[in-house]
Amino acid sequence: MGVPERFWRVMVGTLLLAAVWIQFGYGPGVTAAQQRSNTSDRRPMVLDRAPARMIADPNPVFRAVVLDAEHGEVFMANDKESAGTSVLVYPTQFPPTNRILEPRRRIAGPKTDLGMVCGLALSIEHGELYSVSGETGTLNVYPLDSTGNVGPARRLRGVMPRASAGVFLDVKNDELFITTEHVNRISVYPRTFQEDQEPLRFIQGPVTGLGDPHGIYIDGTTNEIFVSNHGNWRETQPGEGEVRGPDSLTRTSLGYNVPGRVVPLVPSTGQFLGPSITVHSRTATGNAAPLRIIHGPHTQLSLPDGIYRDPVSGELIVANTGDDSVLFFAKDAAGDATPVRVLKGPATKMKGPVGISIDAKRNELWVASWDSHVAAVFPRMANGNIAPLRVIRTASENAPLASMGRIGAVAYDPKRKEILAPN
Amino acid sequence: MIQGPKTLQARTSHYIAVDAVHDELAVPNPFAQAILIFRGGANGNEAPVRVIQGPKTLLTAVDNVAVDPLHRELMTASFPTDSILVFRSDAGGDVEPIRILHGPKTQLDRPIRVEVDPINNLMAVMNDHALLVFNRTDSGDVAPKWIIAGPKTGIGTRFGTRDLKLFPEGRKIIAGASIRGPRGTRSREASNEDEEGFFRGGGQRFIGVWKYGDNGDVAPWAVLNATPITKIPGSRMALNPEGGDLVIGGDGRVAVYHLPEIFQKTD
Repeated sequence: MGVPERFWRVMVGTLLLAAVWIQFGYGPGVTAAQQRSNTSDRRPMVLDRAPARMIADPNPVFRAVVLDAEHGEVFMANDKESAGTSVLVYPTQFPPTNRILEPRRRIAGPKTDLGMVCGLALSIEHGELYSVSGETGTLNVYPLDSTGNVGPARRLRGVMPRASAGVFLDVKNDELFITTEHVNRISVYPRTFQEDQEPLRFIQGPVTGLGDPHGIYIDGTTNEIFVSNHGNWRETQPGEGEVRGPDSLTRTSLGYNVPGRVVPLVPSTGQFLGPSITVHSRTATGNAAPLRIIHGPHTQLSLPDGIYRDPVSGELIVANTGDDSVLFFAKDAAGDATPVRVLKGPATKMKGPVGISIDAKRNELWVASWDSHVAAVFPRMANGNIAPLRVIRTASENAPLASMGRIGAVAYDPKRKEILAPN
Repeated sequence: MIQGPKTLQARTSHYIAVDAVHDELAVPNPFAQAILIFRGGANGNEAPVRVIQGPKTLLTAVDNVAVDPLHRELMTASFPTDSILVFRSDAGGDVEPIRILHGPKTQLDRPIRVEVDPINNLMAVMNDHALLVFNRTDSGDVAPKWIIAGPKTGIGTRFGTRDLKLFPEGRKIIAGASIRGPRGTRSREASNEDEEGFFRGGGQRFIGVWKYGDNGDVAPWAVLNATPITKIPGSRMALNPEGGDLVIGGDGRVAVYHLPEIFQKTD
């Protein structure tokens, strides 16, 4: 019995020593070394397998709409990623049909660099189509007769801020105007811009009234700029959003090697101003106040987007996304103005209207509805709940609403067993 | 669908967080510098029940939010200010953050996502070039507890990582969908954007899963690669641990992957 007892005493002593050795410094080192060894040699378990379910809308949608009345073509921006973003070109005249209408041609594919194409403009005189993306900081130019997977003929990648929404060509003054939601700004470039072009001027700053701007229209005769604003506002500084390397006034999180300055932790300035139409001088620059603002409950404005001026009556026409309507304002409307006409109702087939244009040659109003995959053509003076003259649709009438655009996130609600996707 | 002017949502909406305990949803509005809190069952043109907004909040371009139902807290990673702001999640109006993580020791560099683990008291942050893990209640200028970064990880917003999730019961970190490979960065300088456009990196998307305690340049414990079979649509994720599902959204699509391996619990 004596030997085993000594054996156990030695064993216990050794274990105690080992415990002390581990406790006083070596143990964590061993653990860390083991962990390092484990993680440095780690070969990931590969989980590659097909999705159990996939939710997607394969049908293109319509966003911006611009017309080449001379050649009888309408260009529409499709920013739906699940359908492959594109510019779809249709004839302006076609027999009424409720079937899906195939485009005459489409500009689409990786070479096009369309991104989340939101805004379109065109120059018949110069045979050019201009596009801006809701994601990138680029303005692309394509020949008007482009088709397929073609690269832009020209690209602006100067100091233009990211996430632009609207673009308009002021034909009279040969200038391109661009709105940028993120930084409450209107940038102006010459139509003949070069790749690294500086803006000719811009409107930006706390007194401009710009708050989450979207659509834009320039009247080169009255020298006015009309901008639709969703009303999400924060104070911006002139020059904010320009990509200028480490001195940029906006810090970007997108991994570019131009992070910009760190913003100090200062009081927040954000407000909900409510939707508006701001009217600016065409030549305004910097932190310039608007000439007038259409804003208030009587306006019925609700997430206003595309904006156009009737070339005959001078009325201001607004695609009012939030309540599925088109609003018409008197040419000199200001303040809490009531629309002179409202196009709205189930007969119109409008759901989430965003793009708007006038074919003055044929006296027709074009309205592109994002949610319902429909572009509808109405008489120019349409009013109330009337059926369109004809429609272009990219999905059947009973197809689900487009609803999912760029998916900013997904979340899971365990209580309702629902997937949520803000977009 | 929660949609309409009363909701106060911006057209650009980059995040949504679910508080299953209090049955609420939190949605940021970056342009109005606000966090909107809705009923869990909100529908249509319904106003939020509370809005965190105002000078005291210090909110800037708030585009993400995480909720901690256990401690009734809500937090956001602020990329313009290199900080994490923490609020009471039952607060509304012009309220001050209850904690701010900010300073050189934190190594916060354009943080775009924060997630919280209220059980193990951790907070993870996706940075420009690293995933940082802090103690949940860290405040001020505090160094991270663990840093996952380096070529083996493929992690960081500059490599395309846009989202991260924590699975407390299994002590896992899930980050996706990184873009790796020869054109791993999305910087103008590093990518040949003239060939394929600015937002079409030639690298490969993947979702990586790491274990708690992973620190340094550590390969993921598990990966879901973008292949013609997996068809990973994007970079945004949600977890359904009960069903063993990883939900991934992006490119206008939502895909559900059954990956029970990720959701195995640890003691």
